[in-house]
Amino acid sequence: MIVIACVDNKMGMLFNHCRQSQDRVLRSHILEVTKETRLWMNGYSAKQFKEGLPSHVTVAEDFLSQAAPGEFCFAENTELLPWERQTEGIILYRWNRDYPADTVFPLDLSQFTLQSTQEFPGSSHKTITEEVYTR
Amino acid sequence: MKRYCRLLAPLLLLFGFLLSGCSVSTESVVSLDAIPAYSGDSYVAVNGNIPFFTEEELTTTAYEDYGELDYLNRCGEVSACVGLETMPTEERGSIGHVKPSGWQTAKYDCVDGKYLYNRCHLIGFQLTGENARAENLITGTRYLNVDGMLPFENMVADYVQETGNHVLYRVTPIFDGEDLVAQGVLMEAWSVEDEGDAICFNVFCYNVQPGVSIDYATGESWLNGEESPPSSESTTMYVVNLSSEKFHEATCGSAEKLAEDNRLEYFGSREDLIAQGYDPCGSCKP
Repeated sequence: MIVIACVDNKMGMLFNHCRQSQDRVLRSHILEVTKETRLWMNGYSAKQFKEGLPSHVTVAEDFLSQAAPGEFCFAENTELLPWERQTEGIILYRWNRDYPADTVFPLDLSQFTLQSTQEFPGSSHKTITEEVYTR
Repeated sequence: MKRYCRLLAPLLLLFGFLLSGCSVSTESVVSLDAIPAYSGDSYVAVNGNIPFFTEEELTTTAYEDYGELDYLNRCGEVSACVGLETMPTEERGSIGHVKPSGWQTAKYDCVDGKYLYNRCHLIGFQLTGENARAENLITGTRYLNVDGMLPFENMVADYVQETGNHVLYRVTPIFDGEDLVAQGVLMEAWSVEDEGDAICFNVFCYNVQPGVSIDYATGESWLNGEESPPSSESTTMYVVNLSSEKFHEATCGSAEKLAEDNRLEYFGSREDLIAQGYDPCGSCKP
């Protein structure tokens, strides 16, 4: 599986069970990046896709256990560490802002190789940075 | 002086909190005694991160309420229902002419940007576009402003911008006694339309600066490990009789009877008043 996650400047993801941020441009971008294969997410994440979900998206609470090799998993509030060995790659989106955090991205990026970086403007974020990591 | 920032909040948002998965508490007392000492984190959760808003305060109608300064020129509770309607449409202007209570200019190499104190917006400019309103500006450390409050403001601002929804938002500076500088601020927020699903927090942000000690009574500061500056007279309110040129404690019977034309409320030290030629009242002996 390839994990997709969003983090702030200190690798934070959530505060008090709430996502730190969201961005409609990023949502479109994620759907575009993953359109050739399946994208998994849970109901919490699906709720933020107000624009609707295309057919390549599957929503399931246990999506990490169902995802096959090469499939994308958009993880916001799910435990990732138990699936570290199955994680073939990571697409990390950096908000480039500070938010409160009590849950941080748990995977060790030093176990992966940074393949590419690109920046693009979001709808409410000046610059979002995409980092693509592989094993 | 009461040290409580909120004593008996009436009904909590039971229905909404239950729906959002937040636990419900009837405990709604926050005092400085209940806040743990700063230990390296810029904030601490209060009341399990559940804000003290009451059902009556629920609204999706945008508003802003900045209260009034107290007799020591200190800010009080400020609140808003933040929405796209309240967000700024113009660039920020200068706020350098506002001198919040306890304001001092102090520079340290260990502080980002050198200056210890910022004029710290209680409700951030990005949320309501309120720039130089004295009732919304406190003397806050750089650390409080950037590491403590700003991340929470960012979270709320992003949510409102992305959804067009509203967030009930309240910030309460908490002073110890007659201190002029707040010990910290209580920040509460709750997203209304989704009943706290996206935004739900209640935190105390510490008005501290790592490496620097602060006298909260006056705003004076010094590097940790150095001796504190000689203790200065604390700032007190006196009532001056401009006619008799005597000054009184604020609670003195003579002060209470003074006509408006002869009355001056003075904040400062006893020594300063004597140096200006005024004599202490023989009755209340200020």
